[in-house]
Amino acid sequence: MQGYAPILLLIAISLTLPALVWSLSRLIRPSFYSVSKHSTYECGIATTTDAREKFSVRYYLVAVLFLVFDVETVFLLPWALQMKELWIFGLVEMGIFLFLLLIGYAYIWSKGALNWE
Amino acid sequence: MMTPVQQVVMAIIQITVLVSIILLIVPLMTFAERKVIGYIQVRLGATRQAGGIRGFAAGINKLSWAMGRIPILSFFRGLPVFAADGLKLLLKEDIVPDRADRFVFVIAPVICMIPAFATFAVICFYPGTLFTFPTTFPIIGGLPFTGFLTDINVGLLYIMAVGSIGVYGIVLGGWASNSKYPLLGGLRSAAQIISYEIPLSLSLLVAVVLSGTLNFRELSLYLAGVPMVTAAGEIVQMPLIAAIPLFFGFFFYITCGFAETNRVPFDLAEAETELVSGFHTEYSGMKFAWFMLAEYANMMAVSAIAAGFFLGGHYLLPFGLQRFVPDSIPFLAQPSLLFFFGKVFFLLFTFLWVRATLPRYRYDQLMSVGWKWLIPVTLVNLVIAATIRLIF
Repeated sequence: MQGYAPILLLIAISLTLPALVWSLSRLIRPSFYSVSKHSTYECGIATTTDAREKFSVRYYLVAVLFLVFDVETVFLLPWALQMKELWIFGLVEMGIFLFLLLIGYAYIWSKGALNWE
Repeated sequence: MMTPVQQVVMAIIQITVLVSIILLIVPLMTFAERKVIGYIQVRLGATRQAGGIRGFAAGINKLSWAMGRIPILSFFRGLPVFAADGLKLLLKEDIVPDRADRFVFVIAPVICMIPAFATFAVICFYPGTLFTFPTTFPIIGGLPFTGFLTDINVGLLYIMAVGSIGVYGIVLGGWASNSKYPLLGGLRSAAQIISYEIPLSLSLLVAVVLSGTLNFRELSLYLAGVPMVTAAGEIVQMPLIAAIPLFFGFFFYITCGFAETNRVPFDLAEAETELVSGFHTEYSGMKFAWFMLAEYANMMAVSAIAAGFFLGGHYLLPFGLQRFVPDSIPFLAQPSLLFFFGKVFFLLFTFLWVRATLPRYRYDQLMSVGWKWLIPVTLVNLVIAATIRLIF
């Protein structure tokens, strides 16, 4: 675990950095409240509705597909590390895994999940 | 063996150096961006600065004018602009919109920035000791100053894990603004980053498959093609044919790196013509600066990883061609900080070069390139790499 202590230290220091700079900037920057300045930007017209309305997000499917493929890369990682040691066993296992994955990939492609209109 | 106190002091010194390098290169990069794109578009870029402190700026401008007559120095006219930019961001009013979610709005830039900085913890700038502190130093006398902060054996996994946290900052920043443009920009950016993360990991896996290690230092030494002593004590050397998947992997990685850092031609999240400024439309002052800092630090990280794995790392020649340099040549055969930073700066220049050259992708094109083109191609590249590893 010793090698990880400097990482924690780096994260701690990069956490204090914004805090320090913000406090410094708070001391020297102007700060005047005005209703129109603090209103939401909408190309100059008055803001009409809340941005967080319900609307269809096409990215949902992308997120699901990402999950599948990300698990794939996580699964590939140990195999990539131990490839020489696993040799034919790893090769066959990985071949089956990638084959199944590619069937799924071809399926979503043929269903048009990767098309954008 | 170092005592805990020495380790902490040493780590603090290294972190200070690291953070100062990042905080120095990022503003210089914004200056270089203006100048390089200016020169590519046959104009001068920034040459002078307007000043709040009138007499001071006028003096610097006079000096800039004089510098314009000298051939090479004329490129550096307007160099104080980078300091002025930072000062301006510090002095700007920091506006939190009334309808924004205050807490998330404030922490989003920090969430974006911390992973960008944390990535550098495992990046190895030099595979050994840079210099040793003289024994006269109080606590750390006689200790070596290494070219890396820490040398963990899951370095690449750490980079992949930490690098994907940054997207939360973008999405949260877009959502917290409670404004239409940032929300759309944030969503776009999230979809784009997660789409390109798969080919990114697959192209990095090429490096892992070829070398069989995740340690950044060992990876970069092995992929440079020089004989390397492993932890088990045996000497290994990358076969020359492995340069083929490495060569293609480099281009796939850089393409995905452009998309991951939201740079042109993949800067759909900040498409000015459609989304004003994307996820950071509502941000101003230092909060905006943290987003920019994160973006440029990510560019540096992508360049450093590409340089370390694919371009021969600390050695002169890329793609494992270093073996053709005989050991007897004094400087060129040795690893050097200079080579590494030279490659990093060249790749950073490539970011600007591409920005000045290519137009922006359309969104459906971006998604098809990621899903239909890059994923199959990187998989094929990975299979080629695995075959080479098993046969040779």
